[in-house]
Amino acid sequence: MATFQFLMDGFATALQWHNILFALVGVIIGTAVGVLPGIGPMSGVALLIPITATLTSGLPTESAAASSIILLAGVYYGAMYGGSTTSILLNTPGESSSVVTALDGYQMARQGRAGAALSIAAIGSFVAGIVSLIGLVLLAEPLSNIALEFGPAEYFSLMLLGLCAVSGLAGKSMTKALIMTVLGLMLGTIGIDGVSGIARFTYDIPVLYGGIEFLTIAVGLFALGEVFKTILEKEADTDPIAKITRILPTKQDLKESAKPIARGSLLGFFIGVLPGAGATLASFFSYITEKKVSKNPDSFGKGNIAGVAGPESANNAASGGAMIPLLTLGIPGSGTTAILMGALIMYNVQPGPLLFDDHPEIAWGLIASMFFGNLILLILNMPLVRVFAKIIQTPQKYLLPIIIAISFFGVYAVQYSTFDLYLLLACGVLGYLFSKNDYPVAPLVLALVLGPMIENNMRRALTISNGDYSIFVTSPLSLAFLIVAFAWIFVPIILKFTGRKVIVNEEE
Amino acid sequence: MTNTFDKSMGVILLVISILFVTESMKISGSAYGSVIGPKTYPLILGIILGFLSLRLLYETFRKNSETPEKMKLNYKRFGIILVSAILYVFLLEIIGYILATFLFLLISFWVMEKGKLLSTILIALFFTLGVYLMFVTLLGGSLPKFTLF
Repeated sequence: MATFQFLMDGFATALQWHNILFALVGVIIGTAVGVLPGIGPMSGVALLIPITATLTSGLPTESAAASSIILLAGVYYGAMYGGSTTSILLNTPGESSSVVTALDGYQMARQGRAGAALSIAAIGSFVAGIVSLIGLVLLAEPLSNIALEFGPAEYFSLMLLGLCAVSGLAGKSMTKALIMTVLGLMLGTIGIDGVSGIARFTYDIPVLYGGIEFLTIAVGLFALGEVFKTILEKEADTDPIAKITRILPTKQDLKESAKPIARGSLLGFFIGVLPGAGATLASFFSYITEKKVSKNPDSFGKGNIAGVAGPESANNAASGGAMIPLLTLGIPGSGTTAILMGALIMYNVQPGPLLFDDHPEIAWGLIASMFFGNLILLILNMPLVRVFAKIIQTPQKYLLPIIIAISFFGVYAVQYSTFDLYLLLACGVLGYLFSKNDYPVAPLVLALVLGPMIENNMRRALTISNGDYSIFVTSPLSLAFLIVAFAWIFVPIILKFTGRKVIVNEEE
Repeated sequence: MTNTFDKSMGVILLVISILFVTESMKISGSAYGSVIGPKTYPLILGIILGFLSLRLLYETFRKNSETPEKMKLNYKRFGIILVSAILYVFLLEIIGYILATFLFLLISFWVMEKGKLLSTILIALFFTLGVYLMFVTLLGGSLPKFTLF
């Protein structure tokens, strides 16, 4: 059982004292990010990349990459736990994947069952986290073996599929999503061309030769964009917070939520594996499913515990499932995993099928740390939920300027150039304008990360075929990927024409 | 607002795409005998963006102007913070990290909400020194110091 052996080695990595610490810090920050409205998992992860880069600077590259990805992934799934807290207590979801949790969770809180709702959310998230991890362990080897057979043409088509999937589901207007994707790809072409060594679009400006740094764009568009939005739009609001009386759920609660948790975990996992469909969509689907299978669907929206258990499990399972395409294929399926991928590339670690062979320490260390991290999160979210509920009351007066200062520090510490800080500010303003006008920013970041790889694979494939573009459709796998990619774009359009409502995945 | 923004975005994007196409034509065609040189890919992107921006313009003009609800925006607060952020970047390598960050935080805290002078100063000081000491002393990184003297 080679997988088991690898997993045990992974635990050996994950249980080194500094990695335990990193996982702990990651999930605590993640929970805080989830609790704080206004900072989504994407900006949280983006903000922490430079911080982890400096924290791990003393370690050898391999373990530095392992440690920081452990922390960053911790922020990602930790945010999924934390998001439920504000949904339930305040009726304001901390991030978009917890929107449906608010429907029944807040009602439960008003009936004095806030503690039960919170603990069921935590238990559901934990079960789902473990389910998706087992899926990840089982699928990692076979999937990366398949991916090893891919040539450049297959990779090109697969990446195109990833981009189309994210653009097809992001935001209200597909035109805008596609525009953002193409803009991201264009930004990726700035700098020295990796194949020929020719400078493109640099105009003899020295800072442009290295290309536009993904980190600066991501932190600017997400973190600063959201901060600027809050500065401009929100006045200090003081909503009353529901009291948490009893933390443990009753036996009845557990019995009622066991099945929704199981269904939510499986559903969420499979949705998470699909590119483009993230945690938000998973929680929506789970809610709809629970309502359909329930004996009394009318009780939904009035404090039915299944309406909390299902979606909360689903969004956590989806975040675990989303790691699969990232780790095995090297294709991020969502904005947050694109940022994680960018972080790995910063350490010169290429996610993809070779990750498991070349860097088993990173791949299995991460997987093992997620088992451990989920356990910590269960503890954090059950007895300590009162402490985290306090975070909601952090005054914005201090929070927002400090986030700006952290992003300045982070970008400067990694880049050492004021050009990047100006770029950061510009991206912040643009990020606000874009998201205000329904231009989704996630596809842009994803495209910026994938862009150079898409181009390299395209050119390699075309060099093999001597410039013949038909190589992309004659390879059966590549053709299949392309067909699915077009389906992602055109099926929603056709559905729209026939008057159906299309669910979009808005990720913060 | 969305509509005007979309219109101007459409025009700007169209200009960008034309510039992108013409500029990528100038990149040398082939690098090492391969048919596909460094200019093909940007060229394709430029053309796609051109089509998409036309599509955006078409959608915007067809949709007619609907009047979205007006939102009261806090321009003053945002403006002061943005300007002080730009000044921060400008002054960072001149007056050093500690002073620049401290002043930036002080101003932004104050703009966000007036009052509680003592805790405002303390939090700004604590954050600035904390980051500086941790990064420079503990991790051995370097941040700009005060260089006027």
